[in-house]
Amino acid sequence: MNTAEVVVNMPPANAMEAGQFIQLDNVFKAYNNELVVMDGMNLDMRADDRLVIIGPSGSGKSSLLRVLMGLEGIQGGDINFHGQPYIKSENNDSKVVSDELHSRVGMVFQHYTLFPHLTVMGNLILAPMKVHGKDKQSCIAKGRELLARLGLEDKVDYYPSQLSGGQKQRVAIARALMLEPELMLFDEVTSALDPEMVTEVQNVMMQLAEQKMAMIIVTHDMHFAREIATRVVFCAGGKIVEQGTPDEVFGNPKEARTREFLDKVLHLN
Amino acid sequence: MEIDFSIIWPYMPVLMQGLWVTVAITLGCAIAGSLLGFVVSLGRMVNNVLVSGALKLYVEFFRGTPLLIQLFWIFFCFPVVLGISIPPYVSVIISLTLYMGAITSETFRGSLKSIEQEQHDACTALGLKHSTKVIYIIFPQALLRAIPPLLSNIVSLFKESALISSVGIADLMFIGQNISNSTAHPVEFLTTVAIIYFVVAFPLTRLVGYVESRMLTRYAI
Ligand SMILES: Nc1ncnc2c1ncn2[C@@H]1O[C@H](COP(=O)(O)OP(=O)(O)OP(=O)(O)O)[C@@H](O)[C@H]1O
Ligand SMILES: [Mg+2]
Repeated sequence: MNTAEVVVNMPPANAMEAGQFIQLDNVFKAYNNELVVMDGMNLDMRADDRLVIIGPSGSGKSSLLRVLMGLEGIQGGDINFHGQPYIKSENNDSKVVSDELHSRVGMVFQHYTLFPHLTVMGNLILAPMKVHGKDKQSCIAKGRELLARLGLEDKVDYYPSQLSGGQKQRVAIARALMLEPELMLFDEVTSALDPEMVTEVQNVMMQLAEQKMAMIIVTHDMHFAREIATRVVFCAGGKIVEQGTPDEVFGNPKEARTREFLDKVLHLN
Repeated sequence: MEIDFSIIWPYMPVLMQGLWVTVAITLGCAIAGSLLGFVVSLGRMVNNVLVSGALKLYVEFFRGTPLLIQLFWIFFCFPVVLGISIPPYVSVIISLTLYMGAITSETFRGSLKSIEQEQHDACTALGLKHSTKVIYIIFPQALLRAIPPLLSNIVSLFKESALISSVGIADLMFIGQNISNSTAHPVEFLTTVAIIYFVVAFPLTRLVGYVESRMLTRYAI
């Protein structure tokens, strides 16, 4: 049986168990004390989940990922990871409380954000060497292996400016994978790409999905969302409006707001 | 009086000596001033109002007053105020270094600030410590981006250094002016001096364009 269906069909009594991986508990976040982007958000994610977050522009999808990556603070609620405190809202704007848990999360951004003054290999090995204190040779070996897997073995000594958008984004994914994260966050990683490069990046993500990497993906590509998600989460107004399997959310949305949103985006496509 | 450029040749060696003084002082003050400017740009970012305030005052003062008055002040007033004698060379080196420090601190500040928030975010996402981020990511990119404006700053300093002739330093300007006065051939000598300044400065200004179009698009954008 598909594990994703188990999660979705699980009765609320089992929510604790479901929350053992990532659990958002009544998370509140507002920018400048007025623009509320997470309004008492609850979310449970299992280690074998691949969440796709969809929602209107400005609904706080990026904010959610940035909070999970420790790039933004929250003003209320808690986030647990493996049942341990990961992010707490104690002093009205807290970030990550556990560096160890933080290092198990990786993120890929819309605009690649590679380090332009370092080669592809330089981009890959900096964090494992400086953060995990690994020796250079083993990092390089690992980097080569990873690049080969992503079809970039001949780009080792290139600078980011010499790569296409799709290649840059695959390098960005490789850079995050170097730290062996348990959870990968993807924020519209194909939106800045030319259409012909979208697939090469999506294929890499599908590859990770096959290896059971836990992921939270923000995307406007509903086709891809349906393909990769174990669970689709529709956010609007700082809350989760609806969630379920791709078939449930796309095939038979329960909430009017979800239907309205899907009508709009599917029409655009 | 007839214009005759051939009279400059016997004076070429002296003019070259003047050029040498100009180049040496410019280079020395450019290097010292850039180091000072870099430190000042960092100092202005510290969370200490006293430190950042004092540095801001220094920068604004040196940017907001004519270089000539700075040269004069340090040449004539400094020794009086401090009650010590300062050799002329040392005096102009202090002036130009302080001036260059103020100018380049703004250059560095601009380039440090120009590093996008996304680069900082990427570092946080990778779990890099603040010091690692600054040393390996922010400084290298900021320094690369600072190269073209720094080169422009140096070219400006090279040209403005002609002002040190006014306190008697035997630079290119000083020597050219003296010969022009004593030989009564201003057209030949002042033109020659201008051409010498141009011949040195022009390639440097071209270099700025080259660095911008080649190096930066490859390593820093
Ligand atoms: N650093 C910030 N400071 C102030 N407001 C912000 C900040 N970041 C985001 N916002 C605002 O918060 C709201 C949610 O932004 P967010 O980027 O999370 O939305 P999103 O769902 O990712 O939108 P999109 O689909 O356009 O990427 C928006 O109105 C945005 O303008
Ligand atoms: Mg977004």
